[in-house]
Amino acid sequence: MSSHNESILREPLITGKNITYAKVTDDILLPVENKPNKAWWIGFIVAALGAMLWVVSVGYTFWTGIGAWGLNKTVGWAWDITDFVWWVGIGHAGTLISAVLLLFRQNWRNSINRSAEAMTIFAVICAATYVVAHMGRPWLAYWIFPLPNQFGSLWVNFNSPLVWDAFAISTYFTVSLVFWYCGLLPDIASVRDRATGLKQKIYGVLSFGWNGSVKTWQRFEIVSLILAGISTPLVLSVHTIVSMDFATSVIPGWHTTIFPPYFVAGAIFSGFAMVQTLLLILRKVMNFEDYITMFHIESMNKIIMTTGSIVGIAYLTELFVAWYSGSEYEMYAFANRVAGPYAWAYWAMMTCNVISPQLFWFKKIRTSIPISWILSIVVNIGMWFERFVIIVTSLHRDYLPSSWAMFYPTWTDVGIFVGSIGLFFTLFLLFLRFLPGIAIAEVKLLLKSASLQQKTKLAQEGAFPAEQVQHFANSLDKYDSVTQEDINALKQK
Amino acid sequence: MDSNKKYWKGLEELQQTPAFVEKSKGEFAEPIPVEDVLNEAGLSTKTPRRDFLKALGFGLGAVTLAACNRTPVHKAVPYVIKPEEVTPGIPNYYASSFNGQSVLIRTREGRPILVEANPNAVGLVQGTESATVSSVLDLYDMTNKLQNPQIAGKDVEWSKLDTTVKQALVKASNSGKQITLVSRTINSPSTLQAIAKFKESFPNTNLVQFDAISYSGIRKANEQSFGRAVIPAYNFENALVVLSVGADFLGTWLDGEEHTQDYIKNRNYKSLEGGKMSRHIQFESGMSMTGTNADVRIAVKPSEEGAVLVSLYNEVTGSSLPGALTGNQRAATAIKLAAQELLKNRGKAVVVAGANNVDAQILANAINVAIGAYGTVIDLDNFSKKYQGSEDAFATFLADANAGRVGVAMFLNSNPLYDYADTKVVKDALSKVDFTLSFADRADETASELKAIAPTSNYLESWGDESSREGYYTIVQPTINPVFNTRQAEQSLLVWSGNIINIFDFVKNVWETQILAGSAKKWKDVLQTGFEYKGKLTANAYTFTGNVQGAATNLQAYAKTLAGEGFELSLYESAAIRDGRFANNAFLQELPDPVSKVTWDNYVALNPKDIEALGLGENSVVTVEGNNYSVELPVLAQPGQALGSASVAVGYGRTKVGKAGNNVGVNAYPFATVKNGVTQTAAKVKISKVSRTYELAQTQTHHTIEGRNIIRETTFAKYLKNPASESGRFADSHKSYDLWNKFESPGHKWVMAVDLNACTGCGACIVACNIENNIPVVGRDEVRRRREMHWLRIDRYYTIEEDGVDYTKEDDIANLNDFQNVKVVHQPMMCQHCDHAPCETVCPVLATVHSSEGLNHMAYNRCFGTRYCANNCPYKVRRFNWFNYWNDSRFDNYLNNEFTQLVLNPDVTTRSRGVMEKCSMCIQRIQAGKLQAKIEGRPLKDGDIKLACSGVCSANAMIFGDANDPNSEVSKALRSERIYYVLEEINVQPNIGYMTKVRNSFEA
Repeated sequence: MSSHNESILREPLITGKNITYAKVTDDILLPVENKPNKAWWIGFIVAALGAMLWVVSVGYTFWTGIGAWGLNKTVGWAWDITDFVWWVGIGHAGTLISAVLLLFRQNWRNSINRSAEAMTIFAVICAATYVVAHMGRPWLAYWIFPLPNQFGSLWVNFNSPLVWDAFAISTYFTVSLVFWYCGLLPDIASVRDRATGLKQKIYGVLSFGWNGSVKTWQRFEIVSLILAGISTPLVLSVHTIVSMDFATSVIPGWHTTIFPPYFVAGAIFSGFAMVQTLLLILRKVMNFEDYITMFHIESMNKIIMTTGSIVGIAYLTELFVAWYSGSEYEMYAFANRVAGPYAWAYWAMMTCNVISPQLFWFKKIRTSIPISWILSIVVNIGMWFERFVIIVTSLHRDYLPSSWAMFYPTWTDVGIFVGSIGLFFTLFLLFLRFLPGIAIAEVKLLLKSASLQQKTKLAQEGAFPAEQVQHFANSLDKYDSVTQEDINALKQK
Repeated sequence: MDSNKKYWKGLEELQQTPAFVEKSKGEFAEPIPVEDVLNEAGLSTKTPRRDFLKALGFGLGAVTLAACNRTPVHKAVPYVIKPEEVTPGIPNYYASSFNGQSVLIRTREGRPILVEANPNAVGLVQGTESATVSSVLDLYDMTNKLQNPQIAGKDVEWSKLDTTVKQALVKASNSGKQITLVSRTINSPSTLQAIAKFKESFPNTNLVQFDAISYSGIRKANEQSFGRAVIPAYNFENALVVLSVGADFLGTWLDGEEHTQDYIKNRNYKSLEGGKMSRHIQFESGMSMTGTNADVRIAVKPSEEGAVLVSLYNEVTGSSLPGALTGNQRAATAIKLAAQELLKNRGKAVVVAGANNVDAQILANAINVAIGAYGTVIDLDNFSKKYQGSEDAFATFLADANAGRVGVAMFLNSNPLYDYADTKVVKDALSKVDFTLSFADRADETASELKAIAPTSNYLESWGDESSREGYYTIVQPTINPVFNTRQAEQSLLVWSGNIINIFDFVKNVWETQILAGSAKKWKDVLQTGFEYKGKLTANAYTFTGNVQGAATNLQAYAKTLAGEGFELSLYESAAIRDGRFANNAFLQELPDPVSKVTWDNYVALNPKDIEALGLGENSVVTVEGNNYSVELPVLAQPGQALGSASVAVGYGRTKVGKAGNNVGVNAYPFATVKNGVTQTAAKVKISKVSRTYELAQTQTHHTIEGRNIIRETTFAKYLKNPASESGRFADSHKSYDLWNKFESPGHKWVMAVDLNACTGCGACIVACNIENNIPVVGRDEVRRRREMHWLRIDRYYTIEEDGVDYTKEDDIANLNDFQNVKVVHQPMMCQHCDHAPCETVCPVLATVHSSEGLNHMAYNRCFGTRYCANNCPYKVRRFNWFNYWNDSRFDNYLNNEFTQLVLNPDVTTRSRGVMEKCSMCIQRIQAGKLQAKIEGRPLKDGDIKLACSGVCSANAMIFGDANDPNSEVSKALRSERIYYVLEEINVQPNIGYMTKVRNSFEA
């Protein structure tokens, strides 16, 4: 893409000295080409145990029935759909980063899009398991699709948002998977080229015969753009449709027109938080500090802060509209959220989602790795509570007080949720082990334009005015991967 | 003509090359390798033809063998000789009676599956209460019932038992000892005749009737007051003012069901349209179902009940008996107003007292005399024969037994080792009887302690009769052969006394010689109609001879024994399982209490204020101690409970009744005392906290309407001014807009109208619905998880009144100080069959759809259980099969027991796990009704189709019918100004109309 010289006013996207194309490949393929380290094994064992818990919990549910969960005649959805929406929301960041940011030429996405997309796919897999698991008769799950059948003229109900949902999720999953895999092709080819024996064969098949010719690259670029174009509306549509699972109902607290934008913002919010959670560990454990820099961390924190604020405004708007509607059921639903039996969940949500991202107004906080990491987790806790609040507190006290009830989770509810996190990390860790966690080819694109060494070189050559260089040097303060020596080097001739 | 044209196959042929000539000698141009294939080499190739055929043959054989696995055989054997009138798929009805109520038994292919009210007996004693409806399950309670007669716990043949019993009887007879038959009240003419026959052979036979729930106080009081030891009939239809002091007369007191039929006639929509409504004033300590229906309800402690009667007497007659009520201002005012009302409506008013207390009943009699209730409302001549038990007689029996004067004791429908106040006394006495025997159908608490059990047959297997009221006789006819080796008690008595007569002939004889004598009716007519009613006897005039002064003094003294430190406990009969007889009936155990909505347990009901004072909270457990007895019971916060009083239901805590009923709740009978030959159900108790907690299984845990207009109520005075008062039926200026197309119902449109004024909350409809629609019983734990499956529920809402202001909001109620003044409303709630059903739009697979007859259908087979429909139902009437309730050993309900399964209605499919279900408006009945009309070639008439719920409702609170028929009862009812639709503002267009609750309160 960009082989011109980039302004020194822009912060570098790659740091470190003596970064060559070969070094990029070496660095990024380190975990793929070598035996995993201790940290990976510990993480993998913990995650695999979680995945086992998931298998046990889901298996138990399938064996005995949905009664294994804490649901009742009043609260027909609780942790299942909470978890489902949570995972789908998390899955949003991947597409946003890979598609929308690509279209907007946000080059900084190049180092994080791969992991973000992988995260998306695994999150959507986790979400999809709930779609099936929450059914009373999961073996009939295929009925959700309008398949020709022998049951007479049975068709699906196109009025039902659950049908829209099935289409939205499956489309989203398919497109995300294709996008991710296309992006992987040149990198898989790199692995293939460096591997021997069986590994070479496998990666050879997986690389779809990538030969690195100009034509291949040209097509790759076009496909990426087309897929980005297709994916972009999905970023909006998927969570819009998920929100309609609630918004098209008659239940106070669900029946809200604000849901689509509010859900999309929330999804991006939680997705970026999850990317942040993963990448902060990834860059440390895999030594990717030079590729995933403070600039990335700060940028993502800014997005988290922005979407968090949107979500906060949505919460307040909901309260206002409930009051302004004059509908007693609507007013009660929100009064009950704020001060009812589940008020603790509401306030947990408010604290985590509205107050905590506001801390990112402070540069110290948004450039602090430990705080960023903690807050990214806090945000996702908050987003889980948001869905819990929407689903459970709306259902547990709706129209007829005679049916008001409380929901208490069972071990199976907890097991499936904790287990799905285990499943997610199992998949993610396997991904890191077998596929490059950073898009090698795309990072290489930046090496000659947006890297610190390039800018240092140009600065040393005197290509920029001194005050611009000074400004650039100042912006490097926050980088944990940049030493004082590096900064001094800028001013050397 | 031959053609000369010649065709050749190729140039070779044309040119006749030598190679061609050579080749053309054979049949085929090129040799076919037949030899190669057939020779040895061909057979020895890698997969020779023969091996292939062998493998094929083996494979086919193996697959055939594998397929020979026997598939389960479901026999559907047609009748070789079809019994008359048994057509598979078509139900047969037999008239019978249960508990004195005339019923129809619906049988399918020889199986009784439902007990319905006998429509011919409307107005008479008619079977519509929950216990009657659910009694069919007891027939199939096979795992707990005895399959053979037993001696000393071992199965024996009847011949062996007969010999043993006869020996014992002869021995007792010869030694001059008594032979005592202890029984619950027997009003059956044929049973009495059988006992008389028995007595002919054994003259020293003695019949002792003893009822666990005793009304001997009323009988004694009437003897003292009027010289007639009877329980009168109460004709509430003649009463415009009803004042009850502690009598749950719509529920468990005497004939609650019949009282309801009469009482509601002055309160339902027809009566209101005629501008008439009775006023019901209730004084009581615990909140009874009757109390919830009262226009004015005053909480008084059990010790004050006597004083209320004394004050009332003083007010009515202007006398000044001692012991009038002091210190309860609200009650005093109410008494004053009530007295005026009673006097104003002389001859159209009645006072009923619930206490089984001779003095209280004498005072009630005196007041009734003063207000002219006798002859109009109270009928001493057409008396009730339901409760004739005598504690005196039982006490005499115990004394005789203790003295060794009893040779043989037999127990029929009697279980004193469970339900007598002091079981130890009974046990000691029985140990001194030479031979003891029970006719119980199971080894219950008493039978298991006795020497022999001669299990009697279920009433659905028996011939017999009952006479619950003077001049009214109902037949009991079998609908199935005895399933096990049982023999009905009457037959046993006849056999033992040497009367060789079949019970059928015996009962027929009794009817022909005694009951039908002088009547035009024949035995066959009775079998068809089910009852014989001699008509009302003309009322005699009676002079009151009771000692009012003495009664007042006694009441004062009695009150002193209850008042003071601690709590005043009153025992009451559980609305569902009654005195404990029905404890093993899972339908009844899961039927929520009409007031507390608790299932599967008894509890101590306390005023919320008292609970706070005792430092108790939710799920607390307390020790209730008194009368040398102590039990641990969970606490229930009961608004309306008089401060300082506690109520506990009897009928629980059975230990040998069967799997469903064993150890459910605790036994409260020992709190009762027998005083002067009358059982007293009030006691002074100490209540103290226990550290453990216990969660009651309630089907409703939020009890107020939160100020919502889902319940609309008005007062009678306002109603008279404007019948549409509070119903929201004002000028219809509101225009609504729809997203959806209108559903057309060109043929029928099935709808329902619910009269909130008629519904007493009894719950018989719930049980009828359960049985009709094969609804699973899910057990206590599942109810605790709020997963009961009832398609129809009765929502009960409290309005707490303090200082003249009504409170329904949770936040306000938290600050109240007095929870004694409570208004209650019962609202039957089931699928509203909305025309714009929110459930239908959200189902992804169209498993729930609208019918052209206005019904919301549920296609179980299509449902895959997303539960969105239930979430989106504003009425929360949809029920999900969380587990495979019909085939999951963890839920030992009637559905997964091979015998109790026989009660299932074959017209309704059972639902598997993961499927949603809900009220179908008994679509199978609608279909049957339509088919019947079609077969008969006539249009469907209003009333042809009765739903399970509306058919069983003796108050006619649920009116079902076709809205497209302008003359149907439901159409007329729906035109009432009182009609409103619950949540109509969200425009789901429900099809169940509700009529406003009208209260005839004083303030109005």
